[in-house]
Amino acid sequence: MIRTVGLRKEFRTRRATTTAVAGLTLEIPRGRVTGLLGLNGAGKTTTIKILATLLRPTAGTVLVDDLDPLRDAGAVRRRINLIAGGERMVYARMTGRENLWYFGRLYDVPGAVLRPRVAELLELVGLSAAADTRVERYSRGMTQRLSIARGLINDPAYLLLDEPTLGLDAPIARDLRRVVARLAAEGTGVLLTSHYLAEVEELCQHVYVIAGGHHLTAGSPAELTARAGCHRSVRVTVTGAGPEVAAAVESLAADLGAAAVLDRAADGSLVASLSHPGEIAGPLAMAVVGAGGTLAGLEVAEPTLEDAILALNDRAGMVSA
Amino acid sequence: MITLRPHEKLLYRATPRRAAAGRRTRRPAGQALRHAGRVFAAEALKQHRRSFGSKLVVFSMLIWPVMQLAATYYTVRPLAATPGIAERWPLAADPGLLLAFLATGTLGFTFFFSLVQSAWHFSFERVTGTLELLFLSPADRLVIVVANGFGALVQNAWLFTCFMIAAFTVLDVVHVAHPAMYAVVFLALLVPAIAWGAFLNSVLIFSRDSAFLYTLLDDPMWFAAGVRLPLFALPGWIRAAGSVLPLTGSLVVVRGALLSGQTAGELAPELAALAGLSALLFAAAVLALRLGEANAQRTGRLRLF
Amino acid sequence: MSVLSFPVQVGWATFRRTWRVTRRAYPWSYFIGTLMLGVFTVGLAHLGLQAIGGGQVAAGFTAATGSADYLGYITVGAAAFMFTTHGVLWVGKALIEEQRAGTLGALLLAPARRLPYLLGFAGFAFTAIALEVAVLLGCALALGARPAAMGASQAALAVLTLGVAVFGMSVVLGGVMITAGEAHITQNTVFFAIALLSGFTFPRQDLPVVLQWLGELVPTTAAMDVIRGVFTTGAGVPPGRAAVAVLLGLAYTAAGLAYLPRAERHSMERNH
Repeated sequence: MIRTVGLRKEFRTRRATTTAVAGLTLEIPRGRVTGLLGLNGAGKTTTIKILATLLRPTAGTVLVDDLDPLRDAGAVRRRINLIAGGERMVYARMTGRENLWYFGRLYDVPGAVLRPRVAELLELVGLSAAADTRVERYSRGMTQRLSIARGLINDPAYLLLDEPTLGLDAPIARDLRRVVARLAAEGTGVLLTSHYLAEVEELCQHVYVIAGGHHLTAGSPAELTARAGCHRSVRVTVTGAGPEVAAAVESLAADLGAAAVLDRAADGSLVASLSHPGEIAGPLAMAVVGAGGTLAGLEVAEPTLEDAILALNDRAGMVSA
Repeated sequence: MITLRPHEKLLYRATPRRAAAGRRTRRPAGQALRHAGRVFAAEALKQHRRSFGSKLVVFSMLIWPVMQLAATYYTVRPLAATPGIAERWPLAADPGLLLAFLATGTLGFTFFFSLVQSAWHFSFERVTGTLELLFLSPADRLVIVVANGFGALVQNAWLFTCFMIAAFTVLDVVHVAHPAMYAVVFLALLVPAIAWGAFLNSVLIFSRDSAFLYTLLDDPMWFAAGVRLPLFALPGWIRAAGSVLPLTGSLVVVRGALLSGQTAGELAPELAALAGLSALLFAAAVLALRLGEANAQRTGRLRLF
Repeated sequence: MSVLSFPVQVGWATFRRTWRVTRRAYPWSYFIGTLMLGVFTVGLAHLGLQAIGGGQVAAGFTAATGSADYLGYITVGAAAFMFTTHGVLWVGKALIEEQRAGTLGALLLAPARRLPYLLGFAGFAFTAIALEVAVLLGCALALGARPAAMGASQAALAVLTLGVAVFGMSVVLGGVMITAGEAHITQNTVFFAIALLSGFTFPRQDLPVVLQWLGELVPTTAAMDVIRGVFTTGAGVPPGRAAVAVLLGLAYTAAGLAYLPRAERHSMERNH
């Protein structure tokens, strides 16, 4: 488990002091994907860099499996690794295999383990065929995939992912998400930041939302959306609808205090959309049928994490992601 | 394309997991040493890959030094072929020995300047971002910078060294007191050069303007270290400045042993000073790395000054 | 607003732009590097003359150069070498810099403008070089060097001859750099080679005969004889050597201009 308590990071320059992280308390257990959400400048990358030992916190504590990253930096570094999105930081003059071998050596992976692991990782990121080609001949995407393999070279107990799918092609991003889910299922503790909220919703069992370096809220994606009181929207398509159907829908909306949008489709059928936190699909259908309309379609859209974050954001007045 | 099939177990996971969490143990010295050895080998290979097959090595480490040596020899010779040279500088009375004197200077300079070049290249890792990856890893930073310098040296200097050995054999100017002095010469070049490389690597990766240091260590180095002139020709203040360069002491030992037939006993003061300077450079490298990394952790910028 | 104000505005804007760009992108490390090389070469001569030569120079040197002033000889050579290297760095590298900046393609759309472009650039460059070499000469004078003085017209003629030689070499080198796609190896190899062959810091007569003949292939060798005639021996411009230097310089220029379009095409094809 990685724990932080009251984590704080200030950057001092001659002119001013900026606070990037202002007292974060996080728990990143093994075997779970933990999300960290916030907009640019919320302190996500700073937090990740502190956990990766690249930055030293101004105040607060970090413990990685009860190890202090300051006193036991070596032991902590063996347990963690970092993959930053858009990262293409590998050595161009070496082949893909040599790059992984090199980093494996830096992480003190024994030779007997390293050789098959390099082959396995190359296979994992689909670079087996290009394993012995120099990286300078790789495409951008190939280099990025090699960077992902590099992040796994020490079989980290904790994997820190900073916008990992940034700039990746859609199918590769999807495959990376599968790998992350699998690693977590096998016991790796993953911390994920991402701008793609659908990705966070898909992968994370627990999400911390931060803004301006402060803790805003936390919970599972479902809890967050529920807590944000986001509206689910119901849309019905009605054929043969007279004015009484429209009146019934409007009257229901007025009773519930929901917002209603009525429209005519190209074929003359009525499309009515209602948005409300509660369960309103049934009452809406009843009202339509009761007014003599024929239901041709009914869709219910559940609120997404994105809706929740937007709502939280509006409420906090400081986040805008 | 990441080709993980749905029910495939990740094979590389089938390796023994790390030690139980929370144990705060120091690794045994043997393990640490083995890790250092692995890092050393890996870093040297990286260095080899960076420059191997590069035409630049052939030019900058053989063709240019040879042309420069010839031009220097022809420039200095009109001063050596003057009456009374045997009193002023006995060695220069023999044109072969004068050439050998300048050649040892060029050899030493090639050794030490190749490390300036490699440190300059190393400093680009800060720009490309790989330096941060090195700091992310548990590898010993000093081992990395030492191995990087060593790799550069082996990669760059072998060509000119071979050329020099061949040239000295043909010129027949080398007279050593004892065959073991060859080992002394070898070590007197290698150890200070590696200390120098470690020091430069450590300082340049954190320096704002490494191009400036690169320029500063080119011409002033040959001038102050006595590469093309005997030290007695230099004024006191330049000699004082040159004494902080390990190249100066290396050249005194190399020339004393190879061209003047001095013994290890006669060269003991120089050897001791050279050992002390090398230790100091290593210590400075450790300090620069500590301060640089601590500063990076504080400010988020990989800069020392 | 008068009719004249617009061209004046354009001229002023262009001047300011060039000035700003040059000041911002001025190759300080090259300048400091080559200045130090010059200063230390003169310094080496100064110290060596005292400590090794005991204030004298070998009789063979005086016979070969027509001068017993070793320090003055080295100073003239070092200044000429700095002039040559900076000429190549400014003019020869102009095209590859364009290529690196991505503007070579735009330049190639106006093929007829290549020579004026290079000449214009050379005009600007040699002004800069004159200032740069003046810094070195100032340092050398402080060390006690006293080059032989000739009439201003002789001096101008000698510098112009060296300028033609350097310009010719720069045009050829510009083509070679574009073809090779690199400048570092090319320029340094040329610098080391001419330092050995063209007699900048020692009389060429000391070289093996083969190398002496090899030196005749580069225009700076004959141009250096002209420089020596004016600034070292004080005998004046040797007409034969001046003719060789200028003709060779022009031949290099013509060959370079004939080769440039091919080099540019080659580089375009390689880059795309």
